[in-house]
Amino acid sequence: MNDAALDDFEAAPAEPGEVGIVAPCDYVSAEPFTFDCGITIPGFTLRYETYGHLNAAGDNAILVCHALSGDHHCAGIHSLSDRKAGWWNNLIGPGKALDTNRYFVACANVLGGCQGSTGPLSTNPATGRPFGVDFPLVTIRDMVRAQHRWLQSLGITRLHATIGGSMGGMQVLQFGVTFPDFVGKLLAFATTAREGAQAIAFNEVGRQAILQDPDWAGGNYPIGGGPRVGLAIARMMAHITYLSDASMARKFGRRQVSERRNAPHPPASPKSGHAFDVQFEVESYLRYQGQSFINRFDANSYLYISRALDQFDLAAEAGSLEAAFAPVTAESLIVGFTSDWLFPTDQNRAIATALLRAGKRASYAELATDLGHDSFLLESPELYDLVRDFLAA
Amino acid sequence: MTPHAAKRTVDLQVITEWVTPGARVLDLGCGRGVLLQELAQQKQARGLGVDLDVAKITACVKRGIPAYQGDMMTIMRNFDAGFFDHVICSRTLEEVDDPAAVITEALRVGRSLTIGFANHGYWKNRRDAFLLGRKPRNDVYTTAWGNSRPANPLTIADFEDFCAGQGHRIARRMHLRGDWKTRCTFRPNLLAGYALYELKHG
Repeated sequence: MNDAALDDFEAAPAEPGEVGIVAPCDYVSAEPFTFDCGITIPGFTLRYETYGHLNAAGDNAILVCHALSGDHHCAGIHSLSDRKAGWWNNLIGPGKALDTNRYFVACANVLGGCQGSTGPLSTNPATGRPFGVDFPLVTIRDMVRAQHRWLQSLGITRLHATIGGSMGGMQVLQFGVTFPDFVGKLLAFATTAREGAQAIAFNEVGRQAILQDPDWAGGNYPIGGGPRVGLAIARMMAHITYLSDASMARKFGRRQVSERRNAPHPPASPKSGHAFDVQFEVESYLRYQGQSFINRFDANSYLYISRALDQFDLAAEAGSLEAAFAPVTAESLIVGFTSDWLFPTDQNRAIATALLRAGKRASYAELATDLGHDSFLLESPELYDLVRDFLAA
Repeated sequence: MTPHAAKRTVDLQVITEWVTPGARVLDLGCGRGVLLQELAQQKQARGLGVDLDVAKITACVKRGIPAYQGDMMTIMRNFDAGFFDHVICSRTLEEVDDPAAVITEALRVGRSLTIGFANHGYWKNRRDAFLLGRKPRNDVYTTAWGNSRPANPLTIADFEDFCAGQGHRIARRMHLRGDWKTRCTFRPNLLAGYALYELKHG
């Protein structure tokens, strides 16, 4: 260890801290934005959060990209009564792997989203009503181009890195391809350069659950209404694909809700009059996931974003994945998880291999977890070390 | 520095001499990336390490050395012929399943292949087996049988025969005495503790 490294070590806080109370901001672009599909909107809004401080050179920023159902709130809490911190709070904070003492961390809700950024819920200036299915078809590249505009407005000259898992990883790769001079390091986890048929199939079942719900009403449902049943079912099914057999066995097994101390639902509930009310804990959990999702997510947004995931295919445009990566100048770290059966390790490996074949600096690590696709979100000291070391190297 | 650690740096010096400046290097069984870091610093080599263990990959990443976690045959199959200027197998071949296949594949993706191995024919190893009736155990083979990894030990004579039989051209060879420092030119299979070879296409 050299002296400089020793100084860094001593300056760091002994225990990782928290970013604490944070507040979202809105970036409003009044410049027209043309989607990949050719449709132009007069401007857009991205809701975002930042943690830490941008340095004078504007080059210590890290862009965090969120997954399908995620949002801009990736660290800290909004108020002291918040029961849950941001979705990547275990990774982001003073002294953590994404050290906010050192880096300026920024995350925006994607274009097409429903957490404050412009999307199908936003008002269509042409009609004065929500866009609904008149919203332009959004791509991963559209999301990334909108974020690039926003990042420049923050005074960022060049990103130190961009990081994300799942759809966040797709944005990371797209960022490296589309804005090679604007980013130094790419960290993409549990992701793919293009989904296989299985992942598309699952997304299609989710979309069908929404589209077949009468309350979807051709996409023109009123704000606050919409296909609640369909969206909840879509979420329940998708949630299974984020877990694994082993993690579900550990978390629920065959435990029944009647085994709870104050069992609310006996197997054959007299209330419902049939035997198909909640029996197993896993059913109760999925129903809860579905119900809480419909209170925070817009069904049309789900359709648009899941379609963007399915359409993402870096190789298709360029002819091959390595040709697609030709413009990349950043160094990459790709991490796959052994139990991820939604975006399996082979698909993560293929990204690293293509980068290497294209002559880029890329590393591939594979973490042995049994937590499925969501492994990238969970507490993993191995992942933290990789991220910390890759960002610092 | 322990005798064992000192010995570990020996083939690092020789391999660094053999690598051409600015070369693209693939290190099979890269460990913690010490060799590739040396090659990056001394020869501005553009290295890629391959290892099975995530802790080794993390150590490489920390050194700023790109590394790939996975099977060496699988990764090599992804590259076109001659993609790398050098492929390096330093104390790796003793532990792979099919060394002949690894060498063939390494010679496809690499313009040259550097192999370093401890010579099992070295007289002290023979003595352990012949006089003591024991598995060799010393600075190089540090572990007792029960704590050792599966190994397929080889001798200089085995390797020379293998290369002749397969038609692999030996471009350079370097045999070192039991101290892993002094050149050994007389009866290397008996008197050399360590051997380094550079193979090139037919």
